Order: sequence, then structure tokens, then C-alpha cells
Amino acid sequence: MIFHIAKKEIREMSRTGQFKWMFGIVILLSAVAIFVSHRQWQDKNLQREQAEANARTLWLAQGSINPHNAAHYGTFAFKPQFPLSLIDPGVEKYTGISIFLESHSRNEADNVAAADQTGLSRFGDLTPDFILLFIVPLMIIALGHHSITREKEQGTIQIIKTQGVSNKQLILGKWLGNYLPITALTTALFLLAAVFIQDLNWKFLAMMWLVYLVYFAVINSITLIISSLAKSSGISLVTLLAIWIVSCLAIPKVASSYTNEKYPYPTRQEFEAAVAEDKKKGLDGHDPWSEASKKLEQETLKTYKVSDLKDLPFNFDAYRMQKGEEHEAAIYFKHNERLKEVHQEQTKVYRGLAFLSPFLPTRFMSMALANTDYTTHWNFADKAEKHRVKMQRILNDDFAENSKLGEWSYKADASLLAEIPEFQFDAPEFKEVISANTSNLLILTTWLLVSFGFLFFASTRI
Amino acid sequence: MLHAKDLTKHYDGVVALDKLNLSVEAGDIFCLLGANGAGKSTTINLFLNFIKPTSGQIVIDQMDVLKEALKTKEVIAYIPENLNLYGELTGLENLEYFVGLAGKQYSKDQLVDFLAEAGLEHTAHQQRVMKYSKGMRQKVGIAIALAKKAKALLLDEPTSGLDPKASNEFSELLVKLSEQGVATLMATHDLFRAKETGTDIGIMRSGVLVERLSADDINHSDLEKLYLKHMNN
Repeated sequence: MIFHIAKKEIREMSRTGQFKWMFGIVILLSAVAIFVSHRQWQDKNLQREQAEANARTLWLAQGSINPHNAAHYGTFAFKPQFPLSLIDPGVEKYTGISIFLESHSRNEADNVAAADQTGLSRFGDLTPDFILLFIVPLMIIALGHHSITREKEQGTIQIIKTQGVSNKQLILGKWLGNYLPITALTTALFLLAAVFIQDLNWKFLAMMWLVYLVYFAVINSITLIISSLAKSSGISLVTLLAIWIVSCLAIPKVASSYTNEKYPYPTRQEFEAAVAEDKKKGLDGHDPWSEASKKLEQETLKTYKVSDLKDLPFNFDAYRMQKGEEHEAAIYFKHNERLKEVHQEQTKVYRGLAFLSPFLPTRFMSMALANTDYTTHWNFADKAEKHRVKMQRILNDDFAENSKLGEWSYKADASLLAEIPEFQFDAPEFKEVISANTSNLLILTTWLLVSFGFLFFASTRI
Repeated sequence: MLHAKDLTKHYDGVVALDKLNLSVEAGDIFCLLGANGAGKSTTINLFLNFIKPTSGQIVIDQMDVLKEALKTKEVIAYIPENLNLYGELTGLENLEYFVGLAGKQYSKDQLVDFLAEAGLEHTAHQQRVMKYSKGMRQKVGIAIALAKKAKALLLDEPTSGLDPKASNEFSELLVKLSEQGVATLMATHDLFRAKETGTDIGIMRSGVLVERLSADDINHSDLEKLYLKHMNN
């Protein structure tokens, strides 16, 4: 019965000009979005690959060099461009894709795409996630807002009711009739994207597809609830557009403003000042006369039971620099952990507000599955920092072990530079992503169940 | 087949129907006459369970309409004054849809036969309903009743606005269905059609069935006089 009703809905819908135009426009927009995103993805990926190769070449080209000079010369950690970022670029545009790795400093990610764009970028980009998050819900509303009201306005509801069909069957049939074309469109969009995506992980793609289908199911249910309760198609449309504006535009912006107000990040100046203040309190590897350096000297002499730094079995200057690095790394770790705490607090608020709009959990899940969310960026920054610390240790240890105190002219063999491994950052496992987003999945599932509950309630009002 | 027992309906204290007792048996065509607001449509709507009675009982095919709402729908067909169908679908597709809602499945040929039996010209079967006249749409309504094998027909001013030819064709179809044992309750303003088609005639005024008689026991002229007498009282 439900399929019988759905079949009629699709048949009737497919014969209306409104449906043909809308479907045509959305398919065209989707194709353009995928094509443009693919071109941009390829360009960025090529640039990243070239920059990564150049950075490695330049690093190795230093040849025989003092290890600490090499550490200051530095190199770069590049964030890979993940395949599904073609569908959802997430926060990539604002977070940057490379981090300069040098001694004494933990740098922020650079090469922020948004910084290279003009003011027109404020209008946003035509990307597949934009179509999925904003346009498809509008399409669901346009197709379904009069699903029940039109039956009442035309008088066909009376004939339907005298056929012995229950209201639940009717509304589920209508629901399915509206949902199946959307499912077909979404599937086509994902399959088209899959054609262009390199090194595709089907599990991530399938999950993202499923998340969007759940999101559309919720929107579809809300559309039919309003259509069942509204007195006319006009009222239904206006109500649903208001809901769309609130859920897709207002709540995400309010959430963003509220979280920034309640849990603000320190400004860059504040952050750097706090780091500098802490650095002052500890060991500076380049300052042998500071109180901290003198204390380290005394402790080291005592540990190795010698009276002169020259008698130590290693170059104390390099040893001090390594200890300085460790101290600085700990400071950066502490301050970045505080930033992460703010991020966690903000995320909690977002998740709380996700109960107000199905848009938010969908947005978060989509970005997480595309590996373009803040969590992935934090993980990249942490991994880059670990790589930097490891790099400093290898270089300082070599300096300490193969030279004498005051031997600043020491040059390590060029092979030392090759010992520093290339930075590697892999996408998190599927399980990790799901585990980190359990609350988003639960909220979205709650939205689905509650919307169906209300749908059945609304069916009693037909 | 169709029974109303002390059926009463009040709207905000206004009596729309007052203790109506009515029985329409298989093969009967009961025509309800009366002015606007007399309670004819209220009666039909109560049988259809579109509205709930204030008191009284409605039984269709031995089933209480309130207790077995969906089951009673299986045995009835309803044709309102304006049978609205889906304009984007053809007559055949509309028939297939509504009959499918009633849980019946037929081949395309069988559906075509029902439309033909209802008097819809073959060339119209594949036309979109938006191009249909009112008479053609009413015929699709009859085809639904035929395909559904309805035991009872509830009609609310079905011939209103039809030209005499279409109205006559519709009446002939009702008689044909009546001969097959279908019980019909029809609200109408058309005294001539009621006399020609009906087996029983009831006259309603202010929610009360003030007159009930066999169509065979009265001629057109007397029916009109009787009707006017009740309306003028």
C-alpha cells in the first residue's frame, strides 16, 4: 500500500514542470559543483605534492651542515588532501595545509586558502556539501510542502479516505514518494563524485551518503508534518521556509557566535605573549648565562660526577639546546592543550545546540568523514609537533654526541638529514571517526526517531 | 446495508441532524431531498465517518462505522458533487490508484473494462484528467465503485452541474448498479432525477427526515407539491 501511494506520488510529480525544472537545476548544480571541486582538488593536490617534494629536496640539499643550523633552517609538514574533501572541504579553507617545523618554535599552520581569496569568497563556494546541506533540503520542501495540503485543497483526500487506507499508510506513502527521488538524486551525486575521487575509501563514502540520507529523511518528515497540520499549501510553504532559515542558517550562526562568546579562544597576540612569558621562566638553549642554564650545568656536572663541562662525554652546548627544546615543547604543549580545551568546550555547546537543528550533527559528521573537521586539523598539528620534537632530538643528539663543548663549527654528515623521516599524516581509521562522533550520530538518530514520532502524530490530524 | 439509528449531530449547539432513522437495503436507491442545510450532506458525511455523530449509531453492512471505520470503507464508494481526481494522471491511472488504495489489483485490461462499463469513452482512458469534463470525472467515480465491488454507494449531489445527457447517463449507471444489488444513498436537489432513479425518497428539513415514501407511489407533480409543502412549512 505504501509503495502504491509512493509510486503514484512519483508518477504525478514527474509530470509536473516544477519537478522537472527543480530536478534539472539541482542535477546541473551538483555536476558543476563536483566538476569544479574536482579541478580545485587536483590543483591543490598537485601544488601540495610539488611543495612537499621541494621541501624535502631543499632539506636534503643542505648537505654537510651543523645540526642545529639545519634545525633552524627547518622544513615543512604538509597535511594531505583527503579524497572526500572533494565533497566536503569543511574547515580546510581556514585552517591551512602546511606547518613550518623549526627549532624553538611550534608554528601555526600556514597556506590558508581563504587568505588567498578575494572578498567575493565571502559569498561561499559552490561545493557538493553546499548542495547537500542547503539546496536539497529546499528541494524537499518545495516538493513536499503541499503533499497533504493539496489533497485537502483539491478534495481528493475525501476519496482517499473512503478507500479504506489508514492515515499512517497515507503519510508513509507520501513520505516515501517524496523521499525516493531525493535518494536517487543523492545517490547519483555521490556516485558521480566517486568517479572523480582518487584513492576512494568506500566505507567513508557510504557512511557520508547514509548520514545525508538520514538528514534528508528528517527534513522530509518535518515537511510532511507541517503539510499535515497546515491549513493551506501557502502556510505550509512559509512555515517550512522559516524552519529552513532557522535550522540551516540562523542556528549554526547563533551557535558559532554563542560559543565564541562563552568560550573564546585567546587572540594570537595573547597566545604568543603567554608562551613568551613561560619561556622566560625556563631554560633557553641559546643562553648559557641564564639562571636555568647555570642550574642545568650544576645538575649535569653532579650527575656525571665531573667538575668541568669539557669533561662531559658529550657537547654540553648541544645538550643544553636539547633541554631547551624540551622545555619549549612542553610550554607549547601546555598552551595548545588549553586551546584544545576551549575547542572541546565549544564542541560541547555545538552538540547541545544540535538538538535544535538536524543541520549541525550532519555538518559535523560530514566534515569528520571527509577528514576536514577541526579534530583532524588538531591531530595533524599534534602529529607535526611530535615530528618537530623528534627532528630536534635527532639533530641535537648528533650534535651533542659528535662534537665537543664550544665546537660550533661542527658539521654533521649529509646522511644525518636523511635520517629525519618524511612527515606522514594518515587519515584516522573509520572506527576512530565514528567513535569520536558518536554523539553526533546519536543526535541525528534522535532527530530521525522523533520526527517519525511526530509524523505519526500528524497523520491523525489529516 | 446502510442503517442510521437515532442519528444526531449538533454543531456548537445547532442541530444539524435530529434522531435520524434510516435503512437502505441492497438494491435500493434512497434519494434524500431537501433544501441547503437540511442535513443531507451531514447524513452522508456521518456515514463516511468524516464527522462524528453527537449520538446515535451508524451501521454499514452490519459493521458499526465508529468501531470499524476502515473496514466499513472497504464496502462503500463515495462520489461527491465534484469528484476531484489527479489532473496529471490519466483516467486509467486515477482508477488504478484509488482501486489500489482499496486493496484491489486489476490488470490494465480489467481497468479499461471498468471505465468502459462506467460509460467513459475509450479515447479518454489515456487522457490526463485535467482535460476531463465533470461528467467524465463522475464516470471515473462510478468505475472506482465498480472496480471496488462496493456494496453501498454514498452520493452527495453527484449530478449537480451535469448536463441532462450526462445526468441521465449517470442515473442509468446507478440503476444498473442497483440491479447488481448495490445499496445507494444519494443526497440531491434534483426532484426529477430522484423520482426517475430512486426506489425510495426521503425529504429532510432542519435535520429531520419529515417524509419517507416509495418512488413508485408518487408521480413527479405530487412529489414536487409534497416537497414544496414541507419546505414552506
